[in-house]
Amino acid sequence: MIVTKNLKKSFGDHMVLNGINETIKKGEKVVVIGPSGSGKSTFLRCLNLLEQPTEGEIWFEDTNITDKKANINVLRRKMGMVFQQFNLFPHLTVKENITLAPVKLGLMSKEEAGKKAIELLKRIGLVEKAEAYPNQLSGGQKQRIAIIRALAMNPEVMLFDEPTSALDPEMVGEVLDLMTQLAEEGMTMVVVTHEMQFARKVANRVLFMDEGRIVEQSSPKEFFENPSNPRLREFLSKVL
Amino acid sequence: MNWANRLYQSFYNATVPDQRYLAYIDGLKATLLISLLAIIIGIVIGIVVAVLKATAMNYGMKWLHTICNVYINVIRGTPLMVQLLIIYNLVFTSRNTNELIVGAVCFGINSGAYVSEIIRAGIESIDRGQMEAGRSLGFDYLQTMRLIILPQAVKNILPALGNEFITLIKETSVAGIIAVTDLTKAAQYIGSRTWDILPPLIIAAACYLVIVMGLSKLLTVFERRLSKGDRH
Repeated sequence: MIVTKNLKKSFGDHMVLNGINETIKKGEKVVVIGPSGSGKSTFLRCLNLLEQPTEGEIWFEDTNITDKKANINVLRRKMGMVFQQFNLFPHLTVKENITLAPVKLGLMSKEEAGKKAIELLKRIGLVEKAEAYPNQLSGGQKQRIAIIRALAMNPEVMLFDEPTSALDPEMVGEVLDLMTQLAEEGMTMVVVTHEMQFARKVANRVLFMDEGRIVEQSSPKEFFENPSNPRLREFLSKVL
Repeated sequence: MNWANRLYQSFYNATVPDQRYLAYIDGLKATLLISLLAIIIGIVIGIVVAVLKATAMNYGMKWLHTICNVYINVIRGTPLMVQLLIIYNLVFTSRNTNELIVGAVCFGINSGAYVSEIIRAGIESIDRGQMEAGRSLGFDYLQTMRLIILPQAVKNILPALGNEFITLIKETSVAGIIAVTDLTKAAQYIGSRTWDILPPLIIAAACYLVIVMGLSKLLTVFERRLSKGDRH
């Protein structure tokens, strides 16, 4: 579904991604871990071109999205993204946050989108917050709403950029539960996270990034129990 | 009581004989009309330039960015009165131009530079994540600007914009040099008739004060209404 070919990204002289060749298949849940500065967030943000790669290609469902002719705005509709800082729109109510894109992009009528929003809010048990503003919500609630805001676009793949890193510890669970549910429903997911338990439980494949490269990747079981790369072993010994 | 009587007489002379109060009202009308038109022109230019500048940066169109900067620097770096004279003499080669419109356009072009910088600062005060969130949902750059960034930026922009309008209204008092009979000019005319310049000038000053205070009040109400949205 997503293929990257020799993906490189540098900021000035600093090489952040150093040639990444990766294929993410439909329905796969890929978890990316690595020390800070390893390029894992940059890699994720390149997948929907929030960062413009310096070199290389990214293919999404038979379209080369790094091609100048590709309409990235249309392609992004199919790629939901969840941010560390939630990035809800503070001037809109929760319901408006969810319906804004589907309605303004002409994918749904206002009524349809409203119905869908309520459905999604029911699913996460926050339907009574539909008319609330984001500042009235807890971090966990904000992030779950950010997730269903992305889901309202019916994306083919969901990209998560450290979705629990900005949360108070007691709120991490509710967000991971929702992500686990999504995974069980077969959503294709790419998740950058520090939640090793989540990686172990949900991932089909875990990637370890270091210095702009994917230095090891395997099934979660193999990854955590039998790491071969010395950098990974050192990393795991620190975080586990 | 002699001085009080004299004072009364001066102000009486400055307003009532020959229906002189009508001159103030006409001057006031001209001042308000110039200000209003200039504010509208200034806002339009300001928004366009600010968005162009941000867009140019986003799409790496350096030349557009440069053009915007040249406009802003030239306008901010030269005196308003000189700009007014240049534009007036540029346009006034044909004899039947409307000075009022020329003045309004000139003040508008001047204000636009300041407004664009105010708006740019307002746009930049919004977290980068908002643009990213908008883009990641499939909005293009301008849609994200319109639907997500600008509505939030307005709250930060409004106080500074209010200041700019207050300054603008007061600056229109130099419009007299291009033969617009605005409030200040009207007061000067009356003063030259009565041989007593101070009373009409004080009356004019009071009029400006009332307009500016009214505008401040209006802006405060507006700001309060806007901030209701985010502090529930």
